[in-house]
Amino acid sequence: MKARQLIWSLPLVAFAAVVVAQSGARAQSKPVSVPDITGSWERHGAGPGARAGGPRDATIPPPAPPPQLKPQYAKQWQDRIMAGRAADAKGEPLATNYTDCLPDGMPTMMGAMFPMEILQSRGQVTIIEEAFTQVRRILMDTPQKSFEDVEPGFYGHSVGRWDGDTLVVDTIGIKENVRFQNMPHSPQMRIKERMKLVSPNVLWNEITIEDPVVFEKPHTYTVAYRRMPGYTLLEYICEDNREYADDKGRQKIRIN
Amino acid sequence: MIVATEVTMSSRRTAWVGGVLSLLMLMAATAAAHHSFAVFDHTRTLTIHGTVTRFQWTNPHAFLEVDVPQPDGSMKHYSIELTSINMMQRVGWRSNMIKAGDKVTAVVAPLLSGEPVGLGLEVTMADGTTKALPVPNVGSFKRTTETQ
Repeated sequence: MKARQLIWSLPLVAFAAVVVAQSGARAQSKPVSVPDITGSWERHGAGPGARAGGPRDATIPPPAPPPQLKPQYAKQWQDRIMAGRAADAKGEPLATNYTDCLPDGMPTMMGAMFPMEILQSRGQVTIIEEAFTQVRRILMDTPQKSFEDVEPGFYGHSVGRWDGDTLVVDTIGIKENVRFQNMPHSPQMRIKERMKLVSPNVLWNEITIEDPVVFEKPHTYTVAYRRMPGYTLLEYICEDNREYADDKGRQKIRIN
Repeated sequence: MIVATEVTMSSRRTAWVGGVLSLLMLMAATAAAHHSFAVFDHTRTLTIHGTVTRFQWTNPHAFLEVDVPQPDGSMKHYSIELTSINMMQRVGWRSNMIKAGDKVTAVVAPLLSGEPVGLGLEVTMADGTTKALPVPNVGSFKRTTETQ
């Protein structure tokens, strides 16, 4: 019985040996190190006064340039901004996605209003934004699909690769109602990201939004994150939102 | 450092883009909250003394429900909207800090509509401890001495 088991197991042992040898050969052929960006991060250098006074912090990225929208879309966007301001001034703010407990989606979630977790695993980088428990999966070393093959959603379809020390990510398939700073976009919007450690504990994400229908030229801006050692993301469930949109699209509060 | 198998990569250098302070950045600076607080009065605050009927520990925002005795002997109920419980936890708030029956004092920015709702800026708890709420851009709310 034992001899029979041994005979059966021989091919398996041989196969395993080949696999180990091959994987060892692959690992030894061109091993490269990629930065370890796994962990919790929070927005770095955002908000009023972040760059005011004191010596300039080189880890804080420059402010975003204004986006260049095509005239008809620029008008639509400006009108939305002005309507929002007028509504705020009246104390009757316009309802937003948050009023409906809806998440930011891409690329807004990369603004990291709440802490964010990055997880590096085999073939995938996963980014979790604490607010609304938003999750995006970046499939590594995988070809991007065509626009037609991606069902639009909040986070889209993301593929990535390491370009030296930079994580390069390409995302398509964002629903048209998922908007960045209320800007309109078409189904052809593509979001390109370049994530790179600029210091051991500060990660920059250079985000470029391309949309040949809406933008005159791609819109590029950079956000920075700093490590949060020891911080574990908290759960976030939009459980009981007393805010609601009235019939005029204004944000109201339900009085209990 | 993590070791990975090298893949073919096209080298592309992208300059980190510089820029001028823009309308967008001003918007981004003021948009550091999930929900607009424009419904609340930024020109005055009310100080509310009352008894807690419920401490609702939920997202997107927590709420503190308080019964406030009025000079004529009646009771007025106030709902005090707080911030996200995630933000509150990061500055030390816990769900067991307040319970029904506790006597609390809260400084709130009242709802502009006049309804008995306020945005909580700070709460003094039954044990006398005062704890602030992590309200974004809290300096935009002018403190006054009106009480309820």
